[in-house]
Amino acid sequence: MNEIIATLYNAIMEGDVTGAQNGVKAALDAGLEPGSILADGMIAAMKEVGRLFEEGDYFVPEMLIAARAMQSGLAILKPHLVSSNVKAAGKVAIGTIKGDLHDIGKNLVALMLEGAGFEIIDLGVDVAPDKFVNAITTNGVDIVAFSALLTTTMPNMKNTIEAIKKAGLRDKVKIMIGGAPVTQAYADQIGADGFASDASRAVSLAMSLV
Amino acid sequence: MKHRDRVLMALNHEIPDRCPMQVSFTPEFASLITKELLIAGDSLHNPHGGGNTYELERALDQDLLLTSVGWANSYYQEADSYIDEWGIGWKSAQYSTPYGVGRYTEIDQHPLADERLIDSYQAPDPNRPELYHEAEWVLRTFKDEYWIVGVTVTTMFECAWGLRGYERMLSDFALNPELAQRLLDIPYRYHLAAAKKLTQMGVDMIWIGDDVGGQNSMIISPTMWRKFLKPLVANFIAELKSINPQVKVAYHSDGSIYPIIPDLIEIGLDVLNPIQPASMDPLRLKQDFGDKLCFWGSIDEQHTLPFGSTADVQSEVQTRLKTLGKNGGLILGPTHHVQLDTPMENFRAMIDTITHSHYPTY
Repeated sequence: MNEIIATLYNAIMEGDVTGAQNGVKAALDAGLEPGSILADGMIAAMKEVGRLFEEGDYFVPEMLIAARAMQSGLAILKPHLVSSNVKAAGKVAIGTIKGDLHDIGKNLVALMLEGAGFEIIDLGVDVAPDKFVNAITTNGVDIVAFSALLTTTMPNMKNTIEAIKKAGLRDKVKIMIGGAPVTQAYADQIGADGFASDASRAVSLAMSLV
Repeated sequence: MKHRDRVLMALNHEIPDRCPMQVSFTPEFASLITKELLIAGDSLHNPHGGGNTYELERALDQDLLLTSVGWANSYYQEADSYIDEWGIGWKSAQYSTPYGVGRYTEIDQHPLADERLIDSYQAPDPNRPELYHEAEWVLRTFKDEYWIVGVTVTTMFECAWGLRGYERMLSDFALNPELAQRLLDIPYRYHLAAAKKLTQMGVDMIWIGDDVGGQNSMIISPTMWRKFLKPLVANFIAELKSINPQVKVAYHSDGSIYPIIPDLIEIGLDVLNPIQPASMDPLRLKQDFGDKLCFWGSIDEQHTLPFGSTADVQSEVQTRLKTLGKNGGLILGPTHHVQLDTPMENFRAMIDTITHSHYPTY
């Protein structure tokens, strides 16, 4: 691995925001391709973060700080990605379901998806079904992702899918869901395209859906 | 058998006449039961829920009565937005169920979001006499019959994240350990003072805890828990036991916390709550730790109670009696407050099965 890329990769792994920003700047100054900086320095680091999380070496704090470092580097890289026409892996509209304000899981999923090269439209918390519908019609998203922590808000996932169907948009997007009480069986029951039990597995799922 | 003797026998790993029971509710569910049982309860007291009254708990034949001092009492203080005495801001979030509309209070403002404010931050005073009037009354009125629990949950981590903000607090653990420790010390000092006072007053058990488990694994690593929280929990338990060696200590954490259970046993924990069965296998817990630890909770609130049938509820209670309840060591109840999405027939099935079942013979 190129030494500049390795420095960026390590800064992200360690959750070093300044290191990640400097790493991106150094890589750009060295004339490296924005697409390679993203793929080899950033997406590769976040993939390793996901692997360590799945293996039980990283937990939420380590994943969170790595993802924040990645995000801060990406903010610098983004204009260069646009000008060199590097395409996102896909576009995802994400939010917590209507009535649910618990967003740590949703934020981690958004950060990890961003770290895997997806473009994220974060609709925030307590997102009404028509907001997801609007995101599909106005932003042309490939995936809609929503989460619920509570059993009392989980039924709104079904309502949201119904609203997307009613708007005639169901075949235009893939739908993935997650959250503590959610299971694969529930995803199947309400007609979602996939369920992931954590942020790292959500990345693999999103990759398989686009 | 007196309620308190039933609990004490179970906690001594003996078999009482039936398994002891403790149940809490959200305000809306409590209001449904109150109407159904025609109970005019007005002594609201429960941490987090604001739904329990002593009248209701006694009418349901519960064995433990709880009295709470600390930040957990900040839940459900007002119908709309409010700032609690810690400076933490709350707002109300409404949800609908087939059985009516409910609301949660959710934290939305953190007084220590800016870390520089920690130097001038003043926590509330845990030594105000009025904080303990309810405990005095409960002990005076009910201790002869019931097992009295002093509640100081959200003891360190949860209150600290309320002060700081969840993502900030989690990042502090990794990036600014000194700040994380200072943040944890604020609620630790408050709740320790409260728990010591409640122990001196004569409660039978102190209930502490912080949610450090996610659905499938711990939120923070076991290593991080051992570094930041274990020494505080160890000292907390030791201080209480030095006041009264007979006092029991229960620890609450949602989710999966399997790796730190041996640590909790090592530092003197008596009872683990709430044993979320979708996160930790109750049978494995009993096999691995049942001779050293008692369990409290274990009836599933994520699937069985809200979405299962009455037969599922009855079967789950019976399974717990056979497994977690083998040779005592169990207080049965739902893992969390029963919410409006639980059908009344499932709630009744849980209460009736617990209160009318004998322990199985082995």
